[in-house]
Amino acid sequence: MARKMIRVLLVEDEEINRVVARAVLKAAGGGDVVDEAENGEVAVQRVRDAAAPYDLVLMDKQMPVMDGHEATRRIRGMGVTTPIVAVSSDGLPADVDAFITAGADDFTSKPLSKEKLGVILAKFRLA
Amino acid sequence: MAAAALRDQLTALLSSMFSQGLVDEQFQQLQMLQDEGGTPGFVSEVVTLFCDDADRIINEIATLLEQPVVNFDKVDAYVHQLKGSSASVGAQKVKFTCMQFRQFCQDKSRDGCLMALAVVRNDFYDLRNKFQTMLQLEQQIQAYDPKQQ
Repeated sequence: MARKMIRVLLVEDEEINRVVARAVLKAAGGGDVVDEAENGEVAVQRVRDAAAPYDLVLMDKQMPVMDGHEATRRIRGMGVTTPIVAVSSDGLPADVDAFITAGADDFTSKPLSKEKLGVILAKFRLA
Repeated sequence: MAAAALRDQLTALLSSMFSQGLVDEQFQQLQMLQDEGGTPGFVSEVVTLFCDDADRIINEIATLLEQPVVNFDKVDAYVHQLKGSSASVGAQKVKFTCMQFRQFCQDKSRDGCLMALAVVRNDFYDLRNKFQTMLQLEQQIQAYDPKQQ
């Protein structure tokens, strides 16, 4: 199933989760450009230095150096309106609220799957 | 052993891993991603990453629990990490044990944590043995027919 190519920033400290997320994005069939950041600080830098805005940011919560909440707050503080979707295994309402308060647009539980990605792409009209 | 017999052995092994609750639908999803994406070795890569991560994390937790004063927040952070890796590979039993383990961390119970560590270690070793057998069988099958996978 072909769709338009999008630019994704994948923010995740665990290699295993990055490997799985990359495969899910590849399977979604858009030939997407996927940049990666292993913590929130690197993510903020990538967003700041990007030649063109990202279409989607997938943001983990618990990371060394800077967590996903803080990174989300800083990215929003830069005036960036790119959809930020929190991807975390902490799915309690308080965890979701904290991410949304920080500026995320949506939340999905780990691990990322083709189905969950499909819902995200459709919601933000990236499909 | 003929390729067909090896394939039967692999099918039986995977089926027992599912029926014993060692792995869940996420593991099936990884197999589908490998088949659909035409990326041979993808499952093997994820399984290897998981086994290396889990081994390292379990050792870190054991060291922390040996300290005279246990830093339960640090233990909890490692268990959280192990839970995430387990969820990614579909290691259901290890993931469930991690969920119980985190409760002991929150209760700051050293005895509870030590008990949970023993269980998670046991679950992990059991799963790792099965993953290793699975990867060996896949390699043997591929040696018979390199076009497969």
